[in-house]
Amino acid sequence: MIPVFLGVAMLTFFVGNAAGSPLDLIRIFLRNPSPAVIEALRHYYHLDQPVWLRFLYWLWDLLHFNLGISTSGRAVTDQIGAWALTTLELQVISLLLAVVIGIPVGVYSALHQYSKSDYAITTFAIFGYSMPTFWLGIMLIIVFSFELGWLPSSGAAGITYNWGGNVVLDWLAHLALPVTVLTYVTLATIVRLVRANMLEVLRQDFILAARASGLSERAVTYRYALRNAITPVVTVVGLSFGAALGGAPATETVFSWPGLGFAFARAAGVLDIPLVQGITIVITIMVLLANLITDLAYAVLDPRVRIE
Amino acid sequence: MRKKEERRGASQWAVAWRRFRRNKSALIGTAMVAFFILVGVLSPYIAPYPPRSYAPLYEGVAGQPPSFQHPFGVESSGIDVFSEVIHGTRNDLYVGLAAAILTMIIGIAVGAIGGYFKGLVSDVILGVTQVFFVIPALLLILLFARIFLQLVFKGLGLTLIVLILSFFGWSGTAFIVRGETLRVREMDFVQAARSLGADSVRLLFRHIVPNILSPVIVITTLIIAGFILTEVVVSFLGFGDANTTTWGLLLNEGFSYIRTDWWVALFPGLAVVFSVLGFNLMGDGLSDALNPRLRE
Repeated sequence: MIPVFLGVAMLTFFVGNAAGSPLDLIRIFLRNPSPAVIEALRHYYHLDQPVWLRFLYWLWDLLHFNLGISTSGRAVTDQIGAWALTTLELQVISLLLAVVIGIPVGVYSALHQYSKSDYAITTFAIFGYSMPTFWLGIMLIIVFSFELGWLPSSGAAGITYNWGGNVVLDWLAHLALPVTVLTYVTLATIVRLVRANMLEVLRQDFILAARASGLSERAVTYRYALRNAITPVVTVVGLSFGAALGGAPATETVFSWPGLGFAFARAAGVLDIPLVQGITIVITIMVLLANLITDLAYAVLDPRVRIE
Repeated sequence: MRKKEERRGASQWAVAWRRFRRNKSALIGTAMVAFFILVGVLSPYIAPYPPRSYAPLYEGVAGQPPSFQHPFGVESSGIDVFSEVIHGTRNDLYVGLAAAILTMIIGIAVGAIGGYFKGLVSDVILGVTQVFFVIPALLLILLFARIFLQLVFKGLGLTLIVLILSFFGWSGTAFIVRGETLRVREMDFVQAARSLGADSVRLLFRHIVPNILSPVIVITTLIIAGFILTEVVVSFLGFGDANTTTWGLLLNEGFSYIRTDWWVALFPGLAVVFSVLGFNLMGDGLSDALNPRLRE
């Protein structure tokens, strides 16, 4: 985890550095700064030091939760917290829905292999797997927000759509489209995987043995096969979470969802480097934590992993 | 005659091809890929307008929905969507294919060297591969594209996107190649070649790598699909090259005309879905055909 974190920190720092000196940005706001001011700022940003030392200063600040000051003049850390929560809200709800729907659907599809419903499910899944998430979002906005006018197209809370002042309904209405889109894409991955794993496990000898010993088909499917088919799903759920967070700039921009991704896209657009670096670091930490949780969950589900 | 053929036996690739040919969805996928490649190659000859042309504006058809003359409609700015989707096909396939080939080369080199040698080299390579595997790549790709493409190396255009994608994309291939190399390294035919005096380079690239190509081919096909999707995100967010037509750039324009010109976002998106679907179906088919465990 730590090498990954350092790697990402290095990449974001040096790329941000390639964008130009922070002094160039200051010059936009201060028309004719005096040489003394420039000198002071140069010292403040450690520009009189070599690059690698500047990286260490930056890393030191990072470890003290100081991500610098964005071009809007506010500290990056003050801005990021609320965005992170909105992003997590969207991602966690979608991921949970995808898992809860995806596992039974995948099992059903495997148990009815080559039936009509199996073909329907696999087709549905491979389309979700091949679709740009944000594009599906655009299509749903066109249909449900602009043509039918049922659901809001942007934001996390309503200004015009108040649903008679009902806060919960308003919240659900704003979640509906982004959650549908994100759930569908993750669902597709989970269904494909559960189906493939189930089919593989059902062919194995211990399933035959369980059937031969007179267990009901239900017990064989759920207690023996599913238990073995489900462990790799945990890894994929972890990876999907990372992928969805990485894709957040596009999906959140489409829905103007006030989260980290939308902020990233805007900040990168106007070259607000400290903010971009800060968001990249925070998302990296979230992805790494998700991976850690995945590994722990894997150890709980699969006793063979625990010994190592 | 017939008996002789049977005795000679079919090569690994012939068996795989026979299995692939029987897989209906794999064939559909291959047909879709072939169609898009054909469109991409012929794009200068079949597109009614040159790239980024505003000619329809002067014909007075700007902002028109799909019609017989303009099957995918016209943007309010006057750009013909049908032509642009065709030009985008060429550029997006170039990015997907070139980046995937580069990724395959990097992945094979890194994976094979890391799997073949033991000790410090192998450990360092494994560490670096793991870092690249868990990095939130899409985010860094966006950041690199925004800063390098639009500030530092202006004018490199799509080639720079190819380089960025492969810089962040090789770790999966490297992992597979490493695992396979570890497995094949100790096999008898490699030992035999070694005892005949073959050096490491010859062993690696004449004996080991040709024998581990099938999983690499499968993952590379799937990586093409992934890279097309990534490129679409980069251009959609406006981090790509604004002067080169790509499906993502069209979706970006479609998103800004979302209230009036729905067709600008619909058709480039369908092109993305079906090309990516084609590569995914093809990759799944290859995976089944080349998987020895499924062989009957």
